[in-house]
Amino acid sequence: MSAAAEHEAVAEREVSDRPILDPALAPPFPVAALLVLRNSQLRKNVAHAIDVIQAKRARLVAEKQDWQELRSAAALIRDEALENLSVYLEQFEARCTAAGGTVHWASDAADARRIILELLREEKADEVIKIKTMTSAEIQLNPFLEANGIRTYETDLAEIILQLGEGEPSHIVVPALHVNRSQVREIFARRMGIENLSDEPEALTAAARNYLRQKFLSVPTAISGANFLIAETGSVAVVESEGNGRMCLTLPRTMITLAGIEKVLPRFADLEVMLQLLARSATGERMNPYTSLWTGVTPGDGPQKFHVVLLDNGRSSILARKTERQTLRCIRCAACMNACPVYRQTGGHAYGSVYPGPIGAILTPQLEQMRHAQSLPYASSLCGACFEVCPVKINIPEVLLELRARVTDDERKQVSRFFDPLYLGLRVANVIFSRAWLSHLAQWAGRIVLGLFTRKDGWIHALPGIGAKWTQTRDLRGLPKQAFHDWWADRQRGKK
Amino acid sequence: MRPVASSRQQVLGRIRAACCGGQNPAATAEEAAERYERLPRDYRTRGKSTVRACQELFIERLREYDAEVVECAPEELGAMIAAQLEASGRHMFVAPPGLPAGWLVPAAWQISDFEWNIDHNLPADEIERAQGVVTGCFCGVADSGTIVLHHSATEGRRVITLLPDWYLCVVRASQIVETLPEYFDRCDQPPALVTWISGPSATADIEMTRIKGVHGPRFLNVIVVNDREQGTGIRE
Amino acid sequence: MRASLFITCYNDTLFPETGRAVVRLLERLGVEVEFRPGQTCCGQMHANTGFRSEAFSQAKRLVMLYADAEAVVIPSSSCVAMIRDQYPGLLEELGDDALRKEFAALLPRVHELSEFLVDKLGVEDVGAYFPHRVTYHASCHGLRALKLGDRPFRLLRKVRGLDLVPLENLDRCCGFGGTFSVKNAEVSSAMLATKLADVLATGTEFCTALDNSCLMHLGGALHRQNAGMKTIHMAQILASTEEEPAELMG
Repeated sequence: MSAAAEHEAVAEREVSDRPILDPALAPPFPVAALLVLRNSQLRKNVAHAIDVIQAKRARLVAEKQDWQELRSAAALIRDEALENLSVYLEQFEARCTAAGGTVHWASDAADARRIILELLREEKADEVIKIKTMTSAEIQLNPFLEANGIRTYETDLAEIILQLGEGEPSHIVVPALHVNRSQVREIFARRMGIENLSDEPEALTAAARNYLRQKFLSVPTAISGANFLIAETGSVAVVESEGNGRMCLTLPRTMITLAGIEKVLPRFADLEVMLQLLARSATGERMNPYTSLWTGVTPGDGPQKFHVVLLDNGRSSILARKTERQTLRCIRCAACMNACPVYRQTGGHAYGSVYPGPIGAILTPQLEQMRHAQSLPYASSLCGACFEVCPVKINIPEVLLELRARVTDDERKQVSRFFDPLYLGLRVANVIFSRAWLSHLAQWAGRIVLGLFTRKDGWIHALPGIGAKWTQTRDLRGLPKQAFHDWWADRQRGKK
Repeated sequence: MRPVASSRQQVLGRIRAACCGGQNPAATAEEAAERYERLPRDYRTRGKSTVRACQELFIERLREYDAEVVECAPEELGAMIAAQLEASGRHMFVAPPGLPAGWLVPAAWQISDFEWNIDHNLPADEIERAQGVVTGCFCGVADSGTIVLHHSATEGRRVITLLPDWYLCVVRASQIVETLPEYFDRCDQPPALVTWISGPSATADIEMTRIKGVHGPRFLNVIVVNDREQGTGIRE
Repeated sequence: MRASLFITCYNDTLFPETGRAVVRLLERLGVEVEFRPGQTCCGQMHANTGFRSEAFSQAKRLVMLYADAEAVVIPSSSCVAMIRDQYPGLLEELGDDALRKEFAALLPRVHELSEFLVDKLGVEDVGAYFPHRVTYHASCHGLRALKLGDRPFRLLRKVRGLDLVPLENLDRCCGFGGTFSVKNAEVSSAMLATKLADVLATGTEFCTALDNSCLMHLGGALHRQNAGMKTIHMAQILASTEEEPAELMG
């Protein structure tokens, strides 16, 4: 798409349009980003939020003497779990079942939706309360259930804001960070029917608390995600701050937990590593307020019917690839996006996926089997800040480069790509770099051509075509008359 | 309609192909366990503080979360509980069935009468009517100010420490460890139910402003019972 | 001590003055500098855009070109990072044992400029004079891939007359990212604007770094905005003396 056409396409969309987080439908990152860059409110909110978390995280990491050792151990534990994934998943299944749970396996998103719907129909459920789970957003569960006559109630404050306000998450841990208090006030007043609601966070939170209390005490079926599955015991662990998780985990009759197959840890004691890393990375706290762990069914305490739906949906294909497998170590802390200078500017919606930021840039295209979201691996300046903060040491830049190679391998086979200026330019550049004399010739030609655009002050202010992308916001100093190698050659001659 | 078994076969088949297609052949559970034992762990597994310092750290962390913390000697526990209940201004409390009876006896000087609802599988809306709850705990982790509940008879079902707005937890000093790995060390076997509590419920979802008590008790009170010798030496 | 200068494709074409400064500096420190005229590019641009086989052919060329060099000095941290971090994978995938062996032997002899000065020559005071207010931007490759640490600061602090002003958010990416600056030009520019605010806030005359890639991006915007601040590669600062002040082109 030409630069002008891209701008046109974006101009037609309103800033207030609902973002598209379906990778199959979302616009490419550069186009989606352009829309967001115009939203100064959102950019301010995003920068503020990530600055707060980053500062808190930095302080806690500095005080933790064994931070690097924890990261190393976490990476090893996660790799070990992934290396033996079938063993650990079967172990989890056996122990969970022995403890009174039922384990289901879902090959893909449609499979998972079908399984969950059947379970809800068995319970004759017409409504369900939910703990925040990005996995359920990944499989687009809510719209599916609604379409099948089951009302879904998000109970996480950020998720309520998004559900009632018909918005989309823009961050894994703080999904509504792009929404400010007056926007929340407006949404709550309208959808909860509250008059004279102030925009103070205390008042808004109290409104949500009241709104949900009755739901917690009356809705008999709940859906959760899982932060960790423990193979050794068949247990599930959920990490949260608000208490809505604990509500959903203890009050209903039936609990359905949806979990990606990669969530499994070998042993209960592995949590000693993961829990020390997760809260510090995610919210800049030594420990989040509430972490719950349960195993199957406990008579008299909590749901007496418990189902786990293990979800593949592309994860096994990531597992199969040597460099990319580390993507699955992710514990969804979002430290990467808090550190990312690109995310800082664009927020999450530009990534066109429920998983934004650096992890989204590698996870989303892979979950889509590289059929969609091919622009995401390029949505990075490869600065490495993400890798530096990742608690499980995912070398995100390394995976980004691997994915770029895969996208390029696919794209360069297409005839249409032959005349793409970037592809053409790179092919030509490779030829030029194969011989010094060709490079020198190209430099000479470049000096002539760019000389046409060089003004009297020795600088280029405007270039056509792909060059315009540079000169939109930057000047380019005109090519010096003598390349370095020319100067060197002269000097050598002079010496003789 | 596809039978459920085939999804399971499909997923496991793909996983096995992914893991074993290349490098290592399929590991058995025993082989996996062996490899697991050999994983290097260089992180801190024990604290270095004295017993007293560790306890003080625990209290400091709790107070950072706005928990009310008091200490007392073992023989003073009953009176201290009564004092805390009195100060709360509340009257109706729920308690787990295993709570020591001595904890529930009102002190001689007490003004109010407290109503105790012992949780013999109370329905949720009855627990909802309680104004407060008192329990013991399994362990306290000083590093993060975490209280760990295993939901035994003295700790109660999960719901009773969730619905009431005011929660008093009795932590014996001998239950306090410094680091999280030390808590795991204390578990002879993995518990079926655990709740790790590190402060009152909170959210920062609105403009990163931290608000306490969305769901779950807004008020956390802790009594630390000095049930061990306060040495100044390093712990063994 | 003999050092072979790998000038890098973009420095050769766009910033020859940086190369001249490196030569002047190293010769002043008693290093015999050689320049192999067959050099072209390290392959980073192709590797980062997914053109792996092309990147490999350039990598192979570079390894063979410098196989017998005593030391290779490169005034560009991103190119050194390319060689250290990406060459192993490329050579593993597309090379043969002989080439991998050559590379393994060459790798310890490849140095980024500040590494060469501080680690190999063991100098921090290079006898430089640059009487200006300067701020230093830590390019991402130098900071995270090469872990240059405080080497640049140790060198700058010994430059006489130089007033070093710290840069806020010094470790935040400037937004260049190679082809990223063109493929995601708008986001690149947004990152640039954020970075520029910090750079301008230092109130200095010059922003310096160890990579002309970042400086081209920052300097291009500074010039466009008539901001009254210039960029200069650290080699040129270190080469500068009273007798021969730094070349300030443009």
